[in-house]
Amino acid sequence: MRLSNQSLQQYRRLWWFASRGLAAAALVLLITAILTAPSGLQNLFNGLAVGSVYAIFALGYTLIFSILRIINFTHGAIFTLGAYFTYFLTGASVGFNGLLANQRLPFGLPFPIAMIGGGLLAGLCGILIERVAFRPLRNKGADPLLTLVSSLGVAVAIVNVIQLLVGAEIYSYPRNPFGEMPAALNLGTFGGLSQRPVVIRTIQVIIFAVSMATVVLLTYFVNGTKIGKALRAVAEDATTSSLLGINTNFLISLTFFISGLIGGIAGTLVGLSVNVSGPYFGINFGLKGLAVIVLGGLGDIPGAVVGGLVIGVAEAFVPSEHVAYKEAIAFAVLFLVLLLRPQGLLGRAAVQKV
Amino acid sequence: MAMLEIENLSVNYGGIQAVQSLSLSVQQGEVVTLIGANGAGKSTTLRAISRIVNARQGRIIFNGEDISRLAPHEVVRRGVAHCPEGRRVLTRQSVYDNLLLGAYIRKDTAGIKADIELQFKRFPRLYERRNQLAGTLSGGEQQMLAIARALMSRPRLLLLDEPSLGLAPLIVREIFNIIRELHAEGVTILLVEQNASLALQHADRGYVLEAGTLTISGKASDLLNDERIRRAYLG
Repeated sequence: MRLSNQSLQQYRRLWWFASRGLAAAALVLLITAILTAPSGLQNLFNGLAVGSVYAIFALGYTLIFSILRIINFTHGAIFTLGAYFTYFLTGASVGFNGLLANQRLPFGLPFPIAMIGGGLLAGLCGILIERVAFRPLRNKGADPLLTLVSSLGVAVAIVNVIQLLVGAEIYSYPRNPFGEMPAALNLGTFGGLSQRPVVIRTIQVIIFAVSMATVVLLTYFVNGTKIGKALRAVAEDATTSSLLGINTNFLISLTFFISGLIGGIAGTLVGLSVNVSGPYFGINFGLKGLAVIVLGGLGDIPGAVVGGLVIGVAEAFVPSEHVAYKEAIAFAVLFLVLLLRPQGLLGRAAVQKV
Repeated sequence: MAMLEIENLSVNYGGIQAVQSLSLSVQQGEVVTLIGANGAGKSTTLRAISRIVNARQGRIIFNGEDISRLAPHEVVRRGVAHCPEGRRVLTRQSVYDNLLLGAYIRKDTAGIKADIELQFKRFPRLYERRNQLAGTLSGGEQQMLAIARALMSRPRLLLLDEPSLGLAPLIVREIFNIIRELHAEGVTILLVEQNASLALQHADRGYVLEAGTLTISGKASDLLNDERIRRAYLG
């Protein structure tokens, strides 16, 4: 059936109002929930804290997706590696299992330096993974789907090598890694807005701040620097970029390094928050991270953060007696948003060239 | 010694032999044109020079150095700029940033700024649209941007691939006026064109490529009067 131009326009206008209406309703619902639930503000802050973990995880996906248009499933493994690297750089010893049982480095670094070292090592692993799992396929002009499978394979291999070397037990970092700091901040009742005092953990504040700083820095890097502009050029048209004198392979390596660096530091911070739960520590964020970048808009850097925070907050408002539905809520939010905005919250609609 | 010397170049492209034992040379300051029918191997030859396709055999000597094993970005650093077929401007970046990226290999910030001003003077329409995304430009404007971008690397040799493709006659004339200007400024150009008559009118010498093989070559003015070329390409 062919819609006449006029009825198509009416339909579009209706759809516009409906989608804006639904979005406004969701916002009103959220604010009501925050202000009326006994621990509404507490839930909001918990949600932002969890959401910023999702966000910083998803930033690693986003950076590589925006350049290569592929999902790098090794990112979860790199996240895990960063957490372990930091642990060992502090001079702590391996547990009782694995080939390296009871081994330790002959030196121990202060925690903040170990964390940066862990991030740098994770970044180097990112470069190595790109060489092994991505570049050979790219040089052969392989389908992006094949690269996806190859990155999944590398992720599984890394998880198993970790287990082989250091076992599957939980590792925890020393207390007060950043010097003497209170474990949590009591924010009071916000002048009566909240019926109970709101408490947030210091580490959650740190993770939130690092997420926000990372997105600001990355946005500046990609849009405001010469290398960033070259990266966007490679993302759009790699062959033409090489005709401008851009070393595309070097820039792709650099992207994997930055993504690994962010992932490694994020892994360490999350490990501070919830302990390093074993070789699957980062992989567990893999699916959620995917939901986050689809929600925010594939390849969009601020979108990854918005998507992470939205899913985190949505999950936090699931009542504790229904906690089993948390995952369902995250994906229900994703489903609803995609119905209204298939390109994601901040993504641009794909322009069809004719 | 010639600036560019191609010896016995053969290129396979998409399973077929696109170029067969081609030899040609370009002298400093010359405008040389490579003409021929669609699919004769003209663009493939340019792509082999800038190394975005691999040669099966042959040597490409640029200023005395064999560049036929270099990576594409290294060829640009030697002083070869390739303005590709279909313009290939970076549609999601501004006109200004496209020019900036054209100077990617350069470090002299002040010189880059001055050169951008120079291109804006050459192409006033690009100045008007400097903050627009390149994807929003018309085809002719995109072609101007592609040429300006290639010039931003201060090349010693400019490879121009089908600059008139798909453009209105008036715009084509404008583009060729620019080529004449560049020639007068001493820029060395290897020009690939389907519009043989316009190309020969603006070139010093020409080569005719048929099914991957060079058939005729000579001074552009002689080729314009050559009976075989008149029949096959000038109509």
